[in-house]
Amino acid sequence: MSSSLLKLDQVEAYIQKFHILQGVSFEVEKGGVTVLLGRNGAGKTTTLRTIMGLNQVGKGTITFNGENIGDLQTHQIANKGIGYVPEDQGVFGDLTVGENMRVAMKKEDEETTRRMEWVLELFPDLKKFWKKPGGALSGGQKQMLAIARAYVNENELLLIDEPSKGLAPIIVDKVTESIEQMKENTTILLVEQNFMMASKIGNQFFIIDDGKTVHKGQMEELKQDKVLMKKYLGIA
Amino acid sequence: MDLIISLTVNGLATGMLIFLLAAGLTLIFGLMSVLNFAHGGLFIWGAYTGVWSFQMTGSFIVGIIVAIITGLLLGLVTERLIIRPVYGNHIQQILITLGFMLVLQEFIKVVFGPDQKAVFPPEILQGSFLVGDIVLIKYRLFIIAVGLLIFIVSSFILKRTRVGLIVRAGVMNKEMVQSLGINIKLVFMLVFMVGAGLAALSGIMHAVYSGVIYAEMGLEFSILAFIVVVIGGMGSFSGSLFAAILVGLAQAFMAYYVPALSLAVNMLLMTVVLIFRPQGLFGKE
Amino acid sequence: MNIRRMEKSTWIFIIISLLLFIVPFIVTGRSMQFTIIQIFIFAIFAMSYDILLGFTGIISFGHVMFFGIGAYSTAVIMDRMDATVMSFFVAILIAVFIAVIVSFIVGVLTLRLKSHFYAMLTLALAGLFLVAAEKWRSLTGGNDGFTFRLPEILRDSHNLYMLCLVSLLLFFFGLRRFTKSPFGRVLMAIRENEARTESLGYKVLHYKVIASVVAGVVASIAGVLYALSLRFVNTGVFATDLTIDVLLMTIIGGVGTLVGPILGAGLVEFAHHWLSGLSDVHWIFDRWIILYGTVYILVVIFFPLGIVGTIQSKLTNRPVKGLQDNRKAVGK
Ligand SMILES: Nc1ncnc2c1ncn2[C@@H]1O[C@H](COP(=O)(O)OP(=O)(O)O)[C@@H](O)[C@H]1O
Ligand SMILES: [Mg+2]
Repeated sequence: MSSSLLKLDQVEAYIQKFHILQGVSFEVEKGGVTVLLGRNGAGKTTTLRTIMGLNQVGKGTITFNGENIGDLQTHQIANKGIGYVPEDQGVFGDLTVGENMRVAMKKEDEETTRRMEWVLELFPDLKKFWKKPGGALSGGQKQMLAIARAYVNENELLLIDEPSKGLAPIIVDKVTESIEQMKENTTILLVEQNFMMASKIGNQFFIIDDGKTVHKGQMEELKQDKVLMKKYLGIA
Repeated sequence: MDLIISLTVNGLATGMLIFLLAAGLTLIFGLMSVLNFAHGGLFIWGAYTGVWSFQMTGSFIVGIIVAIITGLLLGLVTERLIIRPVYGNHIQQILITLGFMLVLQEFIKVVFGPDQKAVFPPEILQGSFLVGDIVLIKYRLFIIAVGLLIFIVSSFILKRTRVGLIVRAGVMNKEMVQSLGINIKLVFMLVFMVGAGLAALSGIMHAVYSGVIYAEMGLEFSILAFIVVVIGGMGSFSGSLFAAILVGLAQAFMAYYVPALSLAVNMLLMTVVLIFRPQGLFGKE
Repeated sequence: MNIRRMEKSTWIFIIISLLLFIVPFIVTGRSMQFTIIQIFIFAIFAMSYDILLGFTGIISFGHVMFFGIGAYSTAVIMDRMDATVMSFFVAILIAVFIAVIVSFIVGVLTLRLKSHFYAMLTLALAGLFLVAAEKWRSLTGGNDGFTFRLPEILRDSHNLYMLCLVSLLLFFFGLRRFTKSPFGRVLMAIRENEARTESLGYKVLHYKVIASVVAGVVASIAGVLYALSLRFVNTGVFATDLTIDVLLMTIIGGVGTLVGPILGAGLVEFAHHWLSGLSDVHWIFDRWIILYGTVYILVVIFFPLGIVGTIQSKLTNRPVKGLQDNRKAVGK
């Protein structure tokens, strides 16, 4: 597995005048789930936003499929085949579930329809509340909608930011299961604080601390490494 | 009774004219949170170019089309040159668009001369229908029809088409729309152009309605549109329609029954709304 | 005030002021003197605008209404009463009185709104004043306006010059103290960050209303002097063109500096003087608003600190807030 889909090399980024990312480097290989770990405020969300072009890249390079995407605009980056599920889900509250999906669908061809059907089967709730405004959904349903929106187009890579945040355990299981199914045919970069979830679906991991990548490895190893977990993640 | 119906028709016609102007304003504000003080300048350019081409060709349809095209093009120029350099800075935006308003107004005088011009409706819209004892002036009915048409078409586009959904989604969460692969800047530009086109359309419609055009008309009339937008709630399309009709009717009836107050009635309405519901009748907190 | 404690800049201002007192003895050309008087008047008007825009961060497009109130109060009083100095004082009192009432009511009603609304509403209000002045012909003489008589002492252009100069100096030093006072600091805090100032326990609305009353009163005095200098008034004193003039003066000179607006008034009025001379050469110079508007737009985009602001930021080497927006940015 040497073909890397996404590669960040010493990426730095500012929010206003604050130097938030101070050297983030990692590679996401094709297939599987790469997990970004790190405590609150470490810079995980900022990393995803910087990949999406929502924050400007100050220094360093971001390559996707061998192409430098660091200078592209957000919509161009998305159209290269990256789907984004933000931390706050970004559901359009006044639009119905159906309309939310419609905004997301770039094409109305067979493939998109097929993916749509597949994802609705995965999340039957969405079908059930098709005409309900996005703002009226429960937290779990919003999360499902956001994931469905990112999945419905033929994206090669999905960036998913803390999908388990604020969800009841039983819903977390549901979301975990759905991501596991998606990883069959899509590469996923997952930010996750819920270690149970991360360790269940993750293949490799990177740890970000204070805006820098400080560690990487296979998920299997991390589970054994209590010292590392305590040091960077605060989990004993 | 006849009088009431005829005043109502007058009021509706005025209201629809104001709505057309306010619609563009509210659309642009709602999506881009840009309050375009140059809107009245686009209105006046629509009026002059529309009237000019109407008088040159004798065809009102051509006049309307030319007005709208002028509006679209000026909208493009305005967005590129005036709005885009100061996106995100409200103070600069507000200051700059007012300046551009006056420039547009003065350029009218350069191109078309400083004097006011008389305008007559096309033959087919002159005169009136007689229904029983009630006189219905054709052009006013025409204005009401156009206003309703624009309202219905825009509501349909906003509510039912993907473009409309994108526009509405853009209002709620611009970054998310971009993250879904949509070029929001382009969408903004198009929205701005459409808003300007609406302003220009209301310009030519108003020119024929009032029978006379002059350069300062843009600013004067856009003040009415501002009032309507405030009463209806900034960014609310239905609110603008409602408030425009309210203002139109209030004006028509006041002008007849209490002429001395007709001038102040709009300000009065607006003041009352601002005191009791600062976000406007249809506005969200 | 302790002389030794006075700032260097104060000394410079005093020297310039003294020089200005000599000017009418050197510049005796009538039209030039008139232009300089206009500069003083508009400098007062522009400084009052600076209190709003530069110091408090309020954008009003209706400030011209106070100018008009001052001008019409003077004209109407001088027209209806005897042409005495006493009447003139009555006119000033009435102007100030109306300005206080109007600015207070408008401020209380609308200053809690967002900047867009406020700008829009003040524009609408000024429009209302303009239309009212046009319709209420028995009082205002409508668009044609009317001339009025003045007492001998105020007709003399030398005296007029001195009166306007003294007013300018009084307002300049007065407003300078005002902006440097604790009250002025709060205004600037509001400009920088309204929400934070509110959360520090200041009643932002109170401060804004008082700022706009002060600005309104000063503008009305400028209007009084304007009517005095022309011995004539018409609805033009409520026109939006004047608003753009005063915006241009304030911004080109440098917002939030007080000196800037004076300099701006000088530049704009001289340009005015010079351009109207050119209108015989080509009719395009009659349309000087195009030029002003264009310059104004360019200044707002590329030169938002203005002349004095730019110099200050160069000298002190620290960023000066020009037309920056303290509210949440919307666009990218
Ligand atoms: N808009 C902002 N302004 C200033 N600092 C911010 C902003 N957004 C995030 N930060 C800071 O950036 C750092 C990283 O934040 P984030 O990427 O959200 O962390 P994580 O997702 O790992 O919890 C934090 O210290 C946070 O305080
Ligand atoms: Mg985060």
